[in-house]
Order: sequence, then C-alpha cells, then structure tokens
Amino acid sequence: MTPERREEPGRRKALAFTVLVHAGLIAALFLGVQWKRSQPDVVEVELWSSRPTPAMQPAPPPPPPEPEVKPEPKPEPKVEPPPPATPEIAIKEDKKKPEPKKPEPKPEPKPEPKKPEPKPEPKKPEPKPEAKTQPAPDFSEMLKRESSERTARTNAASAQQLANAARAESELRAAADKKGMQDYAAKIRGKVRGNIVLPQSIQGNPEAVFEVIQLPSGEVLSVTLKRSSGNPGLDAAIERAILKSSPLPKPDNPALYQRTLEIRYRPFEE
Amino acid sequence: MNVTQDLSILHLILNASAVVQVVMALLAAVSFMSWYYIFMKWYAVRQAREKTEGFERDFWSGGDLNRLYESAMHAGQESGSMARIFEAGFREFTKLRGQKNLDAKDVVDGSRRAMRATYQREMDTLEAHLAFLASVGSVSPYVGLFGTVWGIMHAFRGLSNVGQATLAAVAPGIAEALVATAIGLFAAIPAVLAYNRFSHDIDRLAVRYESFMEEFSNILQRQMR
Repeated sequence: MTPERREEPGRRKALAFTVLVHAGLIAALFLGVQWKRSQPDVVEVELWSSRPTPAMQPAPPPPPPEPEVKPEPKPEPKVEPPPPATPEIAIKEDKKKPEPKKPEPKPEPKPEPKKPEPKPEPKKPEPKPEAKTQPAPDFSEMLKRESSERTARTNAASAQQLANAARAESELRAAADKKGMQDYAAKIRGKVRGNIVLPQSIQGNPEAVFEVIQLPSGEVLSVTLKRSSGNPGLDAAIERAILKSSPLPKPDNPALYQRTLEIRYRPFEE
Repeated sequence: MNVTQDLSILHLILNASAVVQVVMALLAAVSFMSWYYIFMKWYAVRQAREKTEGFERDFWSGGDLNRLYESAMHAGQESGSMARIFEAGFREFTKLRGQKNLDAKDVVDGSRRAMRATYQREMDTLEAHLAFLASVGSVSPYVGLFGTVWGIMHAFRGLSNVGQATLAAVAPGIAEALVATAIGLFAAIPAVLAYNRFSHDIDRLAVRYESFMEEFSNILQRQMR
C-alpha cells in the first residue's frame, strides 16, 4: 500500500516522459527516414532521331556542303552557329535514310498502275487471230475484247486500290515509327533523368551532346562526349548518369533499335 | 524507374509482412513499458536517495531518538526507506524494553530482526521492475533481429518471383525489415543502460541501509545499559 501511494506522482510524470520520448522517436523516424525521390525534373534528354521532320526540309539543299562538313564536324560546331545543325545531319542522315524509304513505297505503287497498260497488249495478239480466223464468228472476238477490257478496268481499279492502301499503310507506318521513336526517346530520357546528380554550378541551360554505343540488350558500351556543355562537371555528371542507366530501355518496336544513339541533354527543362 | 518508390516510414510499416508487423508491435509495446519503468525508477531512486540523505542528516545531528521516532511516525507515507527501517527497529525496541524477562541481547536482536524485515520490503519495492528492464535489454535485440531476418527472407522470396533481380525489388523489403531491428535496439539500449545504472544505485542504497542498521543496533545496545 504505502510504496504504491508514494510512487504515484512519479508514475504520472514517467508516463508523460515516456509518451514524449516515443513521440520524439516517431517524429525522428518520420522526418529522418523519407527515402522519397527529391530529384527535380530538370534533365532533358533528347534523341536526335526523334525530330527528323523539321530537318527534312533543310536536308535537300545542303547535300553539297555535307561531304565538306563531314571530315571536320567536331571542331566546327563551337566556331560557327550554323554547324550545330551540321552534326545533326550526320545522324539524321541515318534516320533520314529510313524515312525516305517511306515515301519510296509511294512511287512503287505508281509502276503498278502501269501494269494495266501491258494488259491492253493482249489486245494486240487479238487482231492477229482476227486476221487468221476471219470466218470464225465475231462473237468470240467481241467476247474476248469485252472480257479483256473488263479485266483491264478491274486491274486498273485494283491497282489504284492497292496504291491507296500502300500509301495509307506507309503513312501509318511512318506515324507509328515516329511515335515509337518519341516513346523510345522519352523512355531513355526518363531513365537518365532518374540517375543524374547535377553539380551545383550550372549557368544557363547548356546543352551537351553525347554519342552512345549500345548493345541490342540496351547495355551501354561506350559514351563519348561529342559536344561539351562548357561545364566539365556537368559533362561528367551526364556521362555518369548515362553509364548508370545501362541497360538503357528498349524500344517497343525492336526495329527502332539503333546501335549508335546521339543523345542531347539540357540540365533544365525549357 | 522502380527506384523512385515512396519509402516513407508509414509505408514501410504498413507494407511489412504480418510476422514483421507483429514483431514491431511487440517491440513498440516493450519499448513503451521499458521507458515507462525507466522514468519511474529514476524518480523512485532519486527520491529514495534524497530522503535517505535527509534522514541521515537528522539522525546524526544528535537529536533525541524519541522525537525522531515521533516525526517519522507523523511523516507516514512521506518518510523514506531509512526512516521506516528506523521506525520499525525503534518501535520493536520500545516494545521489548518494557518486558522484564528479556535481557539486552534479546531486545537488540528483536529490533534488528524487525529492521531487517522492513529493509527486505524496502529493497523489494526499490528493485521492482528492474528484472523487466534486464530482460528487455537482453531479449529485444533478438526479437528485432528475428523480425529483420523474417522480413529479409520475405523480400528474397519476392525477388525470386520477379525474375529480373534489381535492387528496387528487394530494397523496400529489407528497409522494412530493418525497421524491426531499429525498434528493438531503441528499446534495448536504454533498458540496458538504465538497468546497470539503477542496480548500481540500489546496491549503494542497500549498503547504506545495512550500515545504518548495524550502527543503530549499536546505539540501541548502548541505551540498554
């Protein structure tokens, strides 16, 4: 009895302190143990191949300068403003080659409509039998002519249909490729963004261009700096982030895989 | 992009497996109890020491034993352990002294026995819950470890289902498992420290009480003559 009553004030204080200690612990755990990502969305990774359309128009005029630029594309970019566009061409060429292929199917269907023309040819053999088999009834001849005309007509129609289908298909394919390419670029961008640790001193929003050689599995074989951002620390950070992102995400469409990727980074989104 | 998972502590605890959750709840309860006893013992020991010092001062200042006894009687619940030992001994002494057929040795022995009985009771009160602190200090790290091992087993079993082994697949499991060890250590470390500190303090108080009992017996023996 006696000791219990004696300890009562201490007991209440002890309870209060205990609650205090545990509240402190819980607060420390909640505030201290937050493994939340706090990396801001500041890295812009861009696949060069993902924007070939605007380059399409300038591409035809510069074919003559192209060979001249190619031998010395790396030193030039820093000197002149236009050359930044020229390294684009270097890779866009790869990209453009697949793209022009899509217009190509359009010319292809055109030969097809020409095919109906050879079909009138069968008409030429017709006159010959005509001459030989004069006594034979005109009926058969007329029938033949009519049938050949009909086949020619249907051939022409089907050829046109085919051409239309091919054109639509190629357009679709081009759109799908473009979308796939954008998705692919976005995937790489997202992965590299998650791995980059930006240095403190970044002035402006400089752009660095890297050439990445990858295996079909997405593993990064080599990363070479093609154009510095002007900040060696940032260059190193981006390079580290690319290496850390190995294996790079794969494109949804395996046909979009490219061994050599040219990746352009801006540390901050525009 | 799996790396960017939300790993707040609440998320970890809620997503832990049932066994780990039970272990964490157990450890949290044990930690609460042990901290409660730590604070309670801290107050009790400090109070006992202060009251012992006060009583020793009064006792050795050379006052009248009868008056000291009166004041101890009046203090009632507020008196310290040493005052209660003195009170029990002196009460027994005055009772026995009134009886004619007892010699001095018997009277002193009787009062000493009464003091020893009170001393045992006081020590029992002081040492209450110390065994609990000792158990918490030695066992709760193992309980936490059990929770961690279980959680990691769970995490690796999950890893085998994933196919592609990434750190992101196991990291949350291991993190949630380690929370169990953290709670276990949070309960154990203060419990061990408090146990050592309090058992040492109580031992010193016990030595003081015992030496007081011997000295008081001598004083009573002298009074018999």
